[in-house]
Amino acid sequence: MNRFEHQWQKLVALARQAPADPAAMPFGFATRVAAQAAALPAGTPWRSLERFAFRGLLVAGACSVAAIAFNYSGLLSDQSDDYASADTVGELLSLS
Amino acid sequence: MADESFDLVGCLERVRRRDQVAARQLVEHLYPLVSRIVRSHLPRRVAEEDLAQDIFLKMFTRLEQYQGNVPFPHWVSRIAVTTCIDQLRAQKRRPEFRWADLSENEAEVLDNVMTDERDVLPGDALAARELVQKLLAQLKPDDRLVIQLLDLEQKTIAEISALTGWNQTLVKVRAFRARRKLQKLFQELQSKEKS
Repeated sequence: MNRFEHQWQKLVALARQAPADPAAMPFGFATRVAAQAAALPAGTPWRSLERFAFRGLLVAGACSVAAIAFNYSGLLSDQSDDYASADTVGELLSLS
Repeated sequence: MADESFDLVGCLERVRRRDQVAARQLVEHLYPLVSRIVRSHLPRRVAEEDLAQDIFLKMFTRLEQYQGNVPFPHWVSRIAVTTCIDQLRAQKRRPEFRWADLSENEAEVLDNVMTDERDVLPGDALAARELVQKLLAQLKPDDRLVIQLLDLEQKTIAEISALTGWNQTLVKVRAFRARRKLQKLFQELQSKEKS
């Protein structure tokens, strides 16, 4: 233990010995707080779902990214399919 | 807690049904716990009663979120600690610490602690507590909270982590940083005292 640590521990050990002030509740405090709590908007069934909303959004976002990533090659091949079909039409026209 | 026979589960059930008498009983039951936390972490210029009231109103607002995974007083303690830390963070400027700001008793206690000349007397405890609070007021709010819980309330790193929601490594880092700052303060005070 260095010098400072010794001094600090000595100081806080002494501070811990200080008697705690009695925790007297101010007059009417509980009644006032209870009345204010009663004035708060009542919890609705939807409120309990609110905390899932953000997680749901994250999961939905992750699913979207995964879906795009897995189908990216499919999207590209679809585009090449379009060109293929356009060529087919061209071929059909040239035949007629 | 004031009354060990208090039916907390039943009371919570009635509070959820908007029973105002039960809400009042719950406040009365938890007041000593909340008051102790508020007094330990009370920021400057914030009335103890106002802060306690904020904590209880947050508790009632979030009551639907309490799922019983931890004892209810622990859950309320966490609300109290986070509310105090929010208040401390809101106070951007910390007062400069000067030797002249210390009372005669505080200066004497600090002198005794620093010089190790004589053992401190039990009567010096109140002055020591005031002095520690003045020193802690110089720290960043998060660091102050860690030192308060660690050194004054003698909580373990795991308990502080559970109370604050910070991981244990972060708690250790904050304790280290706070002690370094306190050491610097001690050195500054020593040099001022000599000069």
